[in-house]
Amino acid sequence: MRWVDVKDSLANFWFEFRRQKGGLLGIALLALLVFVAIAAPFITSPDIPQKWKLPWEDTPKAVPPVWYNWFAGKQLAPHKEYTFNDIKLLVNGEDLGGGMRYYKLEFTYDFKYDVPPTNIIIKGINVKLQDINTKANIIITVHRPDGKSIEVYSGDLIEGMVIQLAYDDISRNNIISWASQFESQKDLASIVPSTIDVMKVLFAKAQPGILVNPQPLKGTYKFDIEIYTFNPGDKVDFNHMKVIFTGRTYGYMGTDTMGRDIWAGLVWGTRISLIIGISVAVLSVFIGVLYGVASAYFGGWTDEMMMRFQEFMASIPTLPILILLASSFHGHVTLGIIVLLLVIFGWVGIARVSRSMALQIKEQTYVEAAIALGAGSGRIVFKHIMPQLLPYAFAQIALSVPGAILTEAGLSYLGLGDPTAVTWGQMLHDAQAASATINGYWWWVIPPGLAIALVSLTFVLLGTALDRVLNPRLRRL
Amino acid sequence: MGYGKYLAYRLSNALLVLLIVTFVVSILFTKVADEQLRSSIQEQINLRVRTDPNLQKLAKSDPQALEEWKEREYKRLLHAYGLDKPYWQRVIERTKDTMLLRFGDVRSAIFGETNVRKIIAIAIPRTVLLFTTSSLIVMFLGLALGIKAAQKAGGLFDRALSVFAMVTTSIPMWWFGMILILIFSFKLNLLPSGGMTSIPPKTGFAYYIDVLKHMILPLTTIVFVSFGGWAWVTRNLMIGTLQEDFIMAARAKGVPENRVIYGHALRATAPPIITMTIFTLLGSLNGAILTESVFNWPGMGRLYWVAIQQMELNLIMGLTYISVALYLIGVLLADLAYGYLDPRVKVGVSQQV
Repeated sequence: MRWVDVKDSLANFWFEFRRQKGGLLGIALLALLVFVAIAAPFITSPDIPQKWKLPWEDTPKAVPPVWYNWFAGKQLAPHKEYTFNDIKLLVNGEDLGGGMRYYKLEFTYDFKYDVPPTNIIIKGINVKLQDINTKANIIITVHRPDGKSIEVYSGDLIEGMVIQLAYDDISRNNIISWASQFESQKDLASIVPSTIDVMKVLFAKAQPGILVNPQPLKGTYKFDIEIYTFNPGDKVDFNHMKVIFTGRTYGYMGTDTMGRDIWAGLVWGTRISLIIGISVAVLSVFIGVLYGVASAYFGGWTDEMMMRFQEFMASIPTLPILILLASSFHGHVTLGIIVLLLVIFGWVGIARVSRSMALQIKEQTYVEAAIALGAGSGRIVFKHIMPQLLPYAFAQIALSVPGAILTEAGLSYLGLGDPTAVTWGQMLHDAQAASATINGYWWWVIPPGLAIALVSLTFVLLGTALDRVLNPRLRRL
Repeated sequence: MGYGKYLAYRLSNALLVLLIVTFVVSILFTKVADEQLRSSIQEQINLRVRTDPNLQKLAKSDPQALEEWKEREYKRLLHAYGLDKPYWQRVIERTKDTMLLRFGDVRSAIFGETNVRKIIAIAIPRTVLLFTTSSLIVMFLGLALGIKAAQKAGGLFDRALSVFAMVTTSIPMWWFGMILILIFSFKLNLLPSGGMTSIPPKTGFAYYIDVLKHMILPLTTIVFVSFGGWAWVTRNLMIGTLQEDFIMAARAKGVPENRVIYGHALRATAPPIITMTIFTLLGSLNGAILTESVFNWPGMGRLYWVAIQQMELNLIMGLTYISVALYLIGVLLADLAYGYLDPRVKVGVSQQV
């Protein structure tokens, strides 16, 4: 084939394909998916696959996406992380005499929501103590927009300390006792301190009912952090400091019960889905076509044996056996093994159709002429028969992708997928294991399934369009 | 080759395939069963040593004798379980037992039964109830809509059906089930989220209403996801037939359009549709493992899943055997129907042999 011919046939193909609206949509969707798969490290962060199975401490657990606020009656505080850049260092180690030093930090939080964050986490204040028995001191004060101030935390500062204002006993007691002065006697008698959401109290109007039915006080809250060290050798480093306002909503897609960012999982899942779908489809169609053609070409006993084997494979119920095989690997099913298993059961149907097509092609005069001229088997199969089957193969590859993707997702959903990979099926498995449907975590259940359906739809669209264009014999309206 | 010979050929072929599958699965499982039994024997012996006062006395006075006793006991149990026979002999025995439907027992009772054959007998009707009902609905809807679409190919209804079919075949059935549970069970609180009956089961007429209520969600899931694909295939087959010459001739003759469609065209497309029907019905017996898991429907599919999770090898063997056998019966029936409806098929086979 000359280059001009290739160009010509491609132009012809494109001329035909352009008229398939579904096919064009398929191409657009495929381009989008490939873009997402390649750009995954840039869209989210590059360490997601390594991080996925580790605990996500800084993120809120099982919260809906940020855009949930558009539909919800109440505005929920989103997740917010402050690094040292967002924090003002007012006093940096002022010498108070006698080896004592004083540090003061300040940051503000603009609270304009109806429901405050679930927690405020302060971490990453690196303190190196000269003498482990003389600890440093930390005091956190909140200046509220109504002019009132609360000393929410005061205590020892030790190395590697993480302060969680919502759960720490000191801050809980401080906030509750501060709020008690505004509360009515009747309400005070009825409260159970351990059940109070102190974040709601901290960001509430100072009026009776602050403890039992807190009303949000919107405005700018100023946080002061003061640190005292008592030994001249003590060193405090704020460079890795982080203040996290754990949100009631998070990111584009919310989080699951382990605090993992569902958006990141969705984006990274595209890779696995495409890799599995395409590699299974290409391999199984290639093997199937080769098998069918070989069977038809050699004929006789070879054909008979090959077809008996094909029937044997076809009569095995695929999903149960796949589950059986996968479970016999004791939870160590890597992606490679899944691809292998899916290919083992994927080529069967294609082999049958290729054989029947090859049987017809074999009888054509130009093949007979080639045999008469003494062409070898390899030349006839690869030069004369296979090219005739290519259009069928291309359409079949696209049409086989959805099956592979759906099967992999199903296996992962049953907990038999690759445990180290971020896949949509795995996400749905985790969702089911955490009773996401019962708890109403719709943001955890709906997006992964939609993503699976979208990828499948892309290839169904491409496959049917290719089928119509490349297999004119089978063309239908 | 005559019809009888063709039948015999297909039947022996199916039996051979069934035998090979059973044999291969036996090879796989005899090994696993081996390890399972050996560790359970070890456990039995350890339990005896810990609880039998005589043996504890022996352990204090003569540890050597105890070791010898353990050794003897291990050998005795090994023989009692037949583990001292060679591996291949046991594989063949297991194959033979399975072929003769002697599946044995499970270790812990499922559905209140320990005999594998009884457990499967309980599960099959449940799966039939759910999946065969939904398959019938799917087939009816699919055929009706597919024929409608083929009659006005390229029209608005036809195009809408194609789009619907493509979208629904892309949806994972079990995921759609999860969504329905999310909406109808937990947001709206209208329907039960899983199982076949309430716990404890109701009695009398209320029992049937209860089962019906539990069936609504899984039934809707299966029908919604499947009927589009069915309709689409029917439509394609019908369009192919409607372009043939004999349809033209019938129309030219002035045969009423309804007779053309249902009498001539549908009859000509019958063989592939019958194949599809047989496979759908038999496939439905197998139960979709995933869908039954999502809805906690106690049929064949869920049973398979439970068997694998608890490593009940006898049950896995039994279920695999039954599902392969059902599948082969389906292939056989489809082939026979084809051979009956389309004489060309037999000629094709005799050419191959």
